[in-house]
Amino acid sequence: MSDNIVGERAGLTIAVNIAVVALVVLWLIPTVGLLVSSFRDRDQITATGWWQSPLPVELTFRARAPAADQVEENGVWVVEGNVFEDREQARWFPEATGTVTAFGSRGVAPAEFPPGEVAELRGGATLVVNTDGTFRYESPEEIEGAGPRLYFEARTPPQFTTANYNTVLLADNMDRAFINTLTVTIPATVIPILVAAFAAYALAWMDFPGRGLLIAGVVGLLVVPLQLALVPMLNFHNMIGVGQSFLGIWLAHTAFGLPLAIYLLRNYMVGLPRDIIESAKVDGATDFQIFTRIILPLSFPALAAFAIFQFLWTWNDLLVAKVFLPATAESQVMTVKIADDLLGSRGGDWGILAAAAFVSIAVPLVVFFSMQRYLVRGLLAGSVK
Amino acid sequence: MIRFLFASTAGVALGIGSAVAQPLPFEPGEEDRFNWQSHEEFAEQHDLTGQTLTITGPWTGLDAQNVTQVLAYFAEATGATVNYSGSDSFEQDIVIAAQAGSPPNLAVFPQPGLAQDMAARGFLTPLDAETADWLRENYAAGESWVELASFEGPEGEEALYGFFYKVDVKSLVWYSPEQFEEAGYDIPETMEELKELTEMIVEDGGTPWCIGLGSGAATGWPATDWVEDMMLRLHEPELYDQWVENELPFDSPEVVEAIEAFGWFVRNDDFVQGGSAAAATTDFRDAPSGLFTFPPACYMHKQASFIPTFFPEGSEYGFDWDFFYFPAYEEKDLGQPVLGAGTLFSVTDDSEAARVFIDWLKTPIAHEVWMALSGFLTPHQNVNPEAFDDESLRAMNDILLDATTFRFDASDLMPGEIGAGAFWTGMVDYVIGADAETVASQIQTRWDAMR
Amino acid sequence: MNPMVQGLVTIIVGVGGCVGYFYFANMVLDRVLYPASGPNAGANINKANRIRPWLFLLPAIVALGLYLVYPVIGSFYRSLFDRSGFNFIGLGNYSSLIADGEFRMSLRNNLLWILVVPAASTFFGLLAAQLTDRLSWGNIAKSLIFMPMAISFVGASLIWKFVYANNPDIGLINALRALLGADQAVDVLQIPFWNNFFLMFILIWIQTGFAMVILSAALRGIPEETVEAAVLDGANPFQIFFKIKVPQIMGTIVVVWTTITILVLKIFDIVYATTGGNFGTQILPSYMMAYMFRDDGRATAVAFVIMIIVLPVMIWNIVQARKEMR
Repeated sequence: MSDNIVGERAGLTIAVNIAVVALVVLWLIPTVGLLVSSFRDRDQITATGWWQSPLPVELTFRARAPAADQVEENGVWVVEGNVFEDREQARWFPEATGTVTAFGSRGVAPAEFPPGEVAELRGGATLVVNTDGTFRYESPEEIEGAGPRLYFEARTPPQFTTANYNTVLLADNMDRAFINTLTVTIPATVIPILVAAFAAYALAWMDFPGRGLLIAGVVGLLVVPLQLALVPMLNFHNMIGVGQSFLGIWLAHTAFGLPLAIYLLRNYMVGLPRDIIESAKVDGATDFQIFTRIILPLSFPALAAFAIFQFLWTWNDLLVAKVFLPATAESQVMTVKIADDLLGSRGGDWGILAAAAFVSIAVPLVVFFSMQRYLVRGLLAGSVK
Repeated sequence: MIRFLFASTAGVALGIGSAVAQPLPFEPGEEDRFNWQSHEEFAEQHDLTGQTLTITGPWTGLDAQNVTQVLAYFAEATGATVNYSGSDSFEQDIVIAAQAGSPPNLAVFPQPGLAQDMAARGFLTPLDAETADWLRENYAAGESWVELASFEGPEGEEALYGFFYKVDVKSLVWYSPEQFEEAGYDIPETMEELKELTEMIVEDGGTPWCIGLGSGAATGWPATDWVEDMMLRLHEPELYDQWVENELPFDSPEVVEAIEAFGWFVRNDDFVQGGSAAAATTDFRDAPSGLFTFPPACYMHKQASFIPTFFPEGSEYGFDWDFFYFPAYEEKDLGQPVLGAGTLFSVTDDSEAARVFIDWLKTPIAHEVWMALSGFLTPHQNVNPEAFDDESLRAMNDILLDATTFRFDASDLMPGEIGAGAFWTGMVDYVIGADAETVASQIQTRWDAMR
Repeated sequence: MNPMVQGLVTIIVGVGGCVGYFYFANMVLDRVLYPASGPNAGANINKANRIRPWLFLLPAIVALGLYLVYPVIGSFYRSLFDRSGFNFIGLGNYSSLIADGEFRMSLRNNLLWILVVPAASTFFGLLAAQLTDRLSWGNIAKSLIFMPMAISFVGASLIWKFVYANNPDIGLINALRALLGADQAVDVLQIPFWNNFFLMFILIWIQTGFAMVILSAALRGIPEETVEAAVLDGANPFQIFFKIKVPQIMGTIVVVWTTITILVLKIFDIVYATTGGNFGTQILPSYMMAYMFRDDGRATAVAFVIMIIVLPVMIWNIVQARKEMR
């Protein structure tokens, strides 16, 4: 090949690399934003974007020139002090030191003057706040009441905290929802596997009239919208006394997961080598033995794939949980908790929302990254045939 | 008050069922802010020793703790044993219990609609005419309270079925006294003044209102409170009642006028922080935060009495926040209407103790004890306001006592599909630019479809 | 009972029950009903083998029949009655649906979702599959693009709130706009009509990984010779991709497309958690939830409309499956 083509190739490779980097960044950014925000302080979240989170944030504060501290000097009443010592700021300036970037005397203009400038106020009073936070307020008359307000803008160091997680898990009952989600998910993942495995074996390796129709039926049921089942099945559950309960949601998830389970497992089992099964039959093994001793172990990748699928699906489900579980705090799963409770009650509390979302997606992400291999294999067994 | 808000916080402590045999929080005879005389007189007149009184209600968590403490005084005065149990699913539970023939003696209904249903089905025992007269005389806006709790019984005859106890006020505007003082604004006494103030703030370069309708799947409900308050300020309360029952159609000119009166505030980008479009999505719990920033993002916020829970930590009543009555039009002469919500006691299984209990609710001490605990307002005019431990509650209660009309939150009384559905989404559509008449007629269509 | 304990009991009972059922049913069949010994051993084995498949299939058939087949009929039947469930109103629910402007809007939006989401996901998936194919770090890139698959729709909606928020200090889009000099923040979820596309993008973001994984496997399955022949003929990479590769994996593309289409019709979470159906973003599944528990007649009618929309996909799927089996 000529150099020209090689050069073109290299250019193309670079272009491809750049394109993929762009795509990956685009795909990752929202999640990174969530993760970063979940660790930020709530005041800083609303003051600067998460992409600026490593930088200090300028926030406005208020303090008071306490009238109790006033002293008379040559006919003027003077209050001196340090704005960072005001107890309102204790959370931000635990050392009672900081850097003032601007100050003001009115709430509408909290950053009217640069530090060090002597501001002329109404009634002949003057105020100066220095960069280190020391201030001097002078008034021609004795100060009455609690003393005048000072406003200042100061640089706050970037704060990362786990406070949002504490709030979400301890105060907002998310721990309860987490356990509920787990409670819904595990039985709803384990049970359909067994039921489906036997059915899939029958559809793959047993010969009986109507097999083709049944397979077509399963393929058809893959598509039936869940919505159709909601009203009739909830009525059915109420009728048989299951009502809205964990038992009800396990039954529902099991049934809703079955078509995919049967379909995936059958597709996989059909591909198993015929001669192993034939020779086992010749050796006198029954179908039950063939199934438990040969098919099940060999189908492990497909079983794992479906298990991951069903786990993700039930963990992430909102619709079935909304309908088949009662809406009370003690049986809410995380998705319902976030959508119906936190988005409502913590709608503007970005840090809390981010932490809650991250708590809910952490387990699926771990499962996803540790078992991705099986998931991909399962997807391929199901789709590329 | 929109009830689902509290389901989440109250859910922590469920089904507190406790026999009331616990120490009294305030020793009878001590602290003269309490009317101990009423306690002692009641104790002399009634003796229920050996009788048991069962009560179920929607109060859980802190409210349940409070009510058991309050009920302890009834137990102490009469010698009866009182059992209160609260549950988040009270509204389902009480129907099931009544149908199964095992209701408690008394039930506490979170809103009149369910009590009305149960009265019609014969599950409630009417209260006597004396009680109705007592309410008219001793409750502020007494007639309103009697009307709200009077329903048709199984034979269609109307009677008083409920005794309102513990109410909430919605007609409140929250503001920062410091910022008002700095800017030299006065508290508006009339709707006309409120509108002037709104315009004045804009002229001064500020933003008068913070409005947030966002509430996840319930987005839009704060707007229903606005429209209800406007309805009470523009028209006779009878019209309001007809609106709730849909005898006055949703798309009638009176209702459209109320929606547009709300629109005067919200549909003006200069009046609302971030503009109207932002109001539609700003979370209602996030909305008041604008009062507390420097410079203030807004000067006023209209919301019910629960909102201080969502104020920034450490903010103080009187300095950082205060509230005033959402005023009425001077020109309309409709008095001082107050929109709110409240719980009512009804007799579900008649007994001597149940009757005596209803009489006990008329004593000042039955109100004052809870006033001294937390989160309790009462229209009872003969209680000592000093009993309030919390100054802001006292000021709020004054608004309730000054009321000439009290009406229950209409969206809570309307069928769920309207009051917790079409009304909400309709208001969102309106705020972002739809026509008031179009929105109103859509809601009416939805209501028609339910017949 | 504590739900965790209840869950544990359920697993034990469920798993034990299943295993027990299969084991004992099989045993009863082989030992009691048709013992494979004695005079009729041969005939018995044959009879047992005719029944056995149904034994294996029974639990699945019962569950599927009850939870997926019966509801199709049950929902349709319920949709013919009014809200109380007692009065037969024929197709009344359907005609009032058609008369409802919000329903028509939901239908329009849903059709948009069906057109856009599968197409865009497949397109991005194909793009990602092709680009990462020969890359040394392709597998890492793939698993990062695939990651949103693990995130719930509710979680994803929250994640994207941090992109769409109407506040330049939280929402990325408004931050970028502010950077470019826009002085007024916009709420992208309120822009009429286009807000639908912002919501759709959340689902595209989730589904692209799925499309990519499958299409990438299909691309690898293409015989090398066809590509090499094209290279020798002097075709440029784009020609190779569109003229040689894409036609060969057309079957897989269609499978991916239909799978995502089906998914789109089930999703109500995204709309529910972002706009709640306001601002003209209502879609059928979330429209249905507005009636759920309130007017079951209407709710089931909406569900049935969704069923009708998926019907062509369903039939196509069945036809495909039958073709493969032959």
